[in-house]
Amino acid sequence: MSLDIQNVSKIFPGPRQGFFGRGEGFTALDDVSLSIRKGASFGLVGESGSGKTTLTRCILRLESLSAGNILFDGSDIHKLTPLQMRRLRSRLQIVFQDPYASLDPRMTVHDIVAEPLVIHGDVVNMTASRRTERVMELLLQVGLRSEHLFRYPHEFSGGQRQRIGIARALAVNPEFLILDEPTSALDVSVQADVLNLLHRLQVELGLTYFFISHDLGVIRYICDDVAVIYRGRVVEQGPVAAIFDNPQSDYTRMLLDAMPDPDPDRSPFRKIAAV
Amino acid sequence: MALLDIKNLNLAMRSYEGETQILHGIDLKIERGEIWGMVGETGSGKSLTGLSVSRLIASPPGRYLAGSIEFQGRDVLKATDKEMRMLRGRHIGMIFQDPTTNLNPAFRIGTQLVDVALHAGHADPSVLGLGAGASRGDFKKAAKRVAVEMLEKVGIPKAADRIDDYPHQFSGGMRQRVLIAMAMIGKPDLLIADEPTTALDVSVQAQILRLIHDLVAERNIGVLLITHNLGIVAQICSHVAVMFRGRILEAGKVNDVLKRPSHSYTQALLNSVPTVHTKRGELMGLSGAMRETSA
Repeated sequence: MSLDIQNVSKIFPGPRQGFFGRGEGFTALDDVSLSIRKGASFGLVGESGSGKTTLTRCILRLESLSAGNILFDGSDIHKLTPLQMRRLRSRLQIVFQDPYASLDPRMTVHDIVAEPLVIHGDVVNMTASRRTERVMELLLQVGLRSEHLFRYPHEFSGGQRQRIGIARALAVNPEFLILDEPTSALDVSVQADVLNLLHRLQVELGLTYFFISHDLGVIRYICDDVAVIYRGRVVEQGPVAAIFDNPQSDYTRMLLDAMPDPDPDRSPFRKIAAV
Repeated sequence: MALLDIKNLNLAMRSYEGETQILHGIDLKIERGEIWGMVGETGSGKSLTGLSVSRLIASPPGRYLAGSIEFQGRDVLKATDKEMRMLRGRHIGMIFQDPTTNLNPAFRIGTQLVDVALHAGHADPSVLGLGAGASRGDFKKAAKRVAVEMLEKVGIPKAADRIDDYPHQFSGGMRQRVLIAMAMIGKPDLLIADEPTTALDVSVQAQILRLIHDLVAERNIGVLLITHNLGIVAQICSHVAVMFRGRILEAGKVNDVLKRPSHSYTQALLNSVPTVHTKRGELMGLSGAMRETSA
């Protein structure tokens, strides 16, 4: 399993002008090429509006492409038939950013986590009681307990909710997990627990991660490779250590400098004060 | 006399399950020129402490069991509503977390800024550079001038043109600048910033932090910066207070607390921040067990 993004562009159409005319479109992705290795964690860093989310939507085929190909195991995602796409989606799952908005408040944890098993019933083929067993197994795997099974999302803290979101994504045994800022809504202490959970799951299940974040510390911690995206263009990509220790582009350098370090001696303000 | 002196603050909140005590004896003293960082997890009471200073907690459900908050020697908790209105916006400025929800989408940026400027001006005409006997027209003109000046100061280019824009025409970072301008327009002595950069990108965050830092240097004000990001604290704060479950566990100079934390919770919080130097697997979360024992 590998994912190859080849020269992908996405241009959103501009406003209507006159009867047939269109204004100039907005280029959200401009000739983006990335290659994600099996079993590795690939990080995508960028600010808001840089096209991170558009790229994930393109990978999930929630958005059409203006140009380029996205190859999953060699087959072009955007040329698959609807049935093939459904099959593929069971191998490709996503964890969303906001654990408060991505869980249905009127469904129990059991129903939330079991839903993908029902939707992909033709692939998974489980009886109802087997599904419940699977949900139980998943909850334990992400560090929740079996008594949480029939509770509702509002009874959980942010970190626990994100664990539910991860359990849901893992339900159908995917190979590839898209993590769209999974920890940005969480406290640092909770974030550390969730990051460690993700790391453990990757080792245990051999998952491939596509990890989106604007937090360079998180990316450095969890990822093997990283790409920096700015205004729809990939500014720089390569192994995490190389990019972080020896950034080539000014933009990456700027991002690294802007990252607040918890060591007081590294503060830019204190340097000024000392002079 | 300290600028702000919180002594043994105890706050309880009423809920369906009865009254729960939220703050257990907070003590904090802020002098001019100091930037105090207040760190803690969700629900530790850091925001409620900040809100208490400008008495923005409705009562009920809030109830102060004991303690005092002395701002320039006067107890805020005993002040009348009229006195509080004079303090808010004029002597105590506040910046909140989410710039999108704290600007009224139906009014122009300028209108909202001028309102604040007029309010501060009525409390003290010298804020607008006017004498006591100025006419209403003078006030309006001066308020607009001050609003434009403030917008320029927080780094909004062509402020005089942008003042007639609506909030949706501004980006997130610019909206947060507008809020800072709004908080600074009354030339406050104390600025309370409740997670001012949480909703922003790192590069914009760096600009906002620089702005706050420069304001302190220039006007010698005191700042209470509420955040859960230890990186921000390390960067711009001179002092830090670590909160946990309604108590201040540890407080002092940033260098002392962050480099030689005396409390295990502070150490654990520091260990949970992934930095450039953390290797995979080294990051320590605050496990559930730790949470329960330290309660």
